[in-house]
Amino acid sequence: MGIISVVKASNLLWLGRYSERVYTTLQVFSQYYDDMIDHNMTGYEEYCEKLSIPSIYTGVEDFFDRYLFDESDPNSIVSNLTRAVDNAIMLRNEISSTTLSYLELALNKLKRIRNSKTALFEIQKVSDYMLAYWGCLDDYVLDDECRNLIKAGRYIERLDLYLRLDFPYDTIEREFDKLMGRLGRVHISYDHRSSSRLHSIIMAGDPERASRGQALECVNKFFEGF
Amino acid sequence: MVPNRGQEMGVMKELREHIECINDLLARYGVRFGLYKNGEFKEQLFPFDPIPRIIPKAEFDHLERGLVQRVKALNCFLEDIYSEKKIIADGVIPESFVFSSSGYLPECEGIHPVHGIHSHISGIDLVEGKDGEWYILEDNLRIPSGASYPLIARNICRRVSPGTFSNNAIADNRDYAKMLKEMMDYVNTGGINVILTPGRYNAAFFEHSYLAEKTYSILAMPSDLYVENDVLYYKDYSERPKRVGAVYHRISDEYMDPLTFNPESVIGVPGIMSVYKAGNVALVNAPGNGIGDDKGIYYFVPKMIEYYLNEKPLLKNAPTYLPYFEEDRKYVLENLEKLVIKDVAEAGGYGVIFGKDLDGEKLEEMRQLIQRESRRFIAQEVIDFKDLEIVEGGGTVERKADLRAFVLYGKEVKVWKSGLTRFSRNPDSFVVNSSQGGGFKDTWVLSR
Repeated sequence: MGIISVVKASNLLWLGRYSERVYTTLQVFSQYYDDMIDHNMTGYEEYCEKLSIPSIYTGVEDFFDRYLFDESDPNSIVSNLTRAVDNAIMLRNEISSTTLSYLELALNKLKRIRNSKTALFEIQKVSDYMLAYWGCLDDYVLDDECRNLIKAGRYIERLDLYLRLDFPYDTIEREFDKLMGRLGRVHISYDHRSSSRLHSIIMAGDPERASRGQALECVNKFFEGF
Repeated sequence: MVPNRGQEMGVMKELREHIECINDLLARYGVRFGLYKNGEFKEQLFPFDPIPRIIPKAEFDHLERGLVQRVKALNCFLEDIYSEKKIIADGVIPESFVFSSSGYLPECEGIHPVHGIHSHISGIDLVEGKDGEWYILEDNLRIPSGASYPLIARNICRRVSPGTFSNNAIADNRDYAKMLKEMMDYVNTGGINVILTPGRYNAAFFEHSYLAEKTYSILAMPSDLYVENDVLYYKDYSERPKRVGAVYHRISDEYMDPLTFNPESVIGVPGIMSVYKAGNVALVNAPGNGIGDDKGIYYFVPKMIEYYLNEKPLLKNAPTYLPYFEEDRKYVLENLEKLVIKDVAEAGGYGVIFGKDLDGEKLEEMRQLIQRESRRFIAQEVIDFKDLEIVEGGGTVERKADLRAFVLYGKEVKVWKSGLTRFSRNPDSFVVNSSQGGGFKDTWVLSR
């Protein structure tokens, strides 16, 4: 098709960001929660701090319930998934009903399991739907530009999350390369100074927290003009 | 197998058994409609009932001929009323009746749309009386919605119960998008086809986006379009303008162009009417069609058929009275308690009042209102229309249902072999509109 309005370009980018946020935070949440079961009972505080979200939770179970399922909490996974769906709904004819349906399935499932005794186990199904959604994007989104915009959103979000969550620098470098590869194939303006600076920080491979903060600043400025 | 009505329940057994699966799939594909309640937008699944309406082939063939005839006559009326107005000059419709209608738009005077087609997509609402006779309840010539629902429901039902469709002679209704695209291509003046939606928070947004996908059109927001030198363009994010040749708009006429109609509209495209006047874009449906589906003008449609086509109407109107005429007014005032009163300015099931529901005081108020504002209302005999079975609480109950038939006017006038059957979920109600809590069914037209 190759015809994308400004609003839809923004929807595509944010669809990539929110859907990646849901997928990655679901994985990392599961690891943190596993640790909180019998070891680190206040691990959610560290988790919130890393993601710069307010630690409003009263304990592990409250964190489990509200961070995953509370639709009134703007930082919850269900809220991020709702935003992903909201963007996707605007893009039905760009991404196809089939692709959109996997996000709908993920959201419907997440909402449905809130009070289930096996919610932790059933979350796996939400991740599965998210993976099917990513697979569909490669198969059903025929327009390269649409796909590249979604993937650009996905990789900028990964950079943000991986930097915050202390992923190793070689992983971050790989995501940076993927992002730049996608940006070379779309007509989107981004901040070249931030990209150069981010590249330098990543290449320096500095494990210090301070450099991660600087890298995050660059990530935040990346699409400021868009 | 060709099911007759006595066999319906056997045919439907499998679909009924899988209703949960069907509803899961409808949720999966986001088949919703929006509602505004207390100023807040809420989306909900459109309740689907698995027992379809079944229309035998011979019956549909008759309906098809009648619907084509009606839409052709209405189109002639629209072309005439915005040009020569012969139907007024010949005394078939009173002049004041046309010009006092809020659906008549003087801004559309003298505009001849591409190929003379005004009503490209007509949604004609019918009911089947208990006597087996079909009656037209109203014509929708502006932005009739609803085709997408039976379209996607059919797809889902075929997957859930393929045997139902291989064992029964049911006309395939999945050609609606193809029909729509062919019609848009036919009137396209050169450029891309777009479906223009007011936005995400429109009640029928699902339909707009679904039809855009299925017709390979671009789903556009008003801000995506702009006018330059009497040409309409779609703004690409990389600043590559694309000329637009046909717009299937889902925006009310009065909000379409702030430079021509309501200047406060923020959901219109400034200047689009000048492009349309210049013949550089097709607007589907044409602005100004509101005069054709005015509830008062409805009364005259059988006369239009005779006037323009020199044919006898094949389908009946519901018996209708216009209080505007003295004789009708007298009848309406004397029989108000057994009639249904409709405010011609309202739509979506609003402004419909059943005389039987009014107490003495309210009846008197209504009589006075009708006398004061006789042009504002029509009155109809209450048709005892056929109830259809719906699934409820593990069993079945009977509810009032209507049928919206879709007629597409392109190179030819075609009736979609299906339609939206809407039903009331309230046992005491005749109002089937989704905005008032109604549900929908698939409509099977038998192919032999």
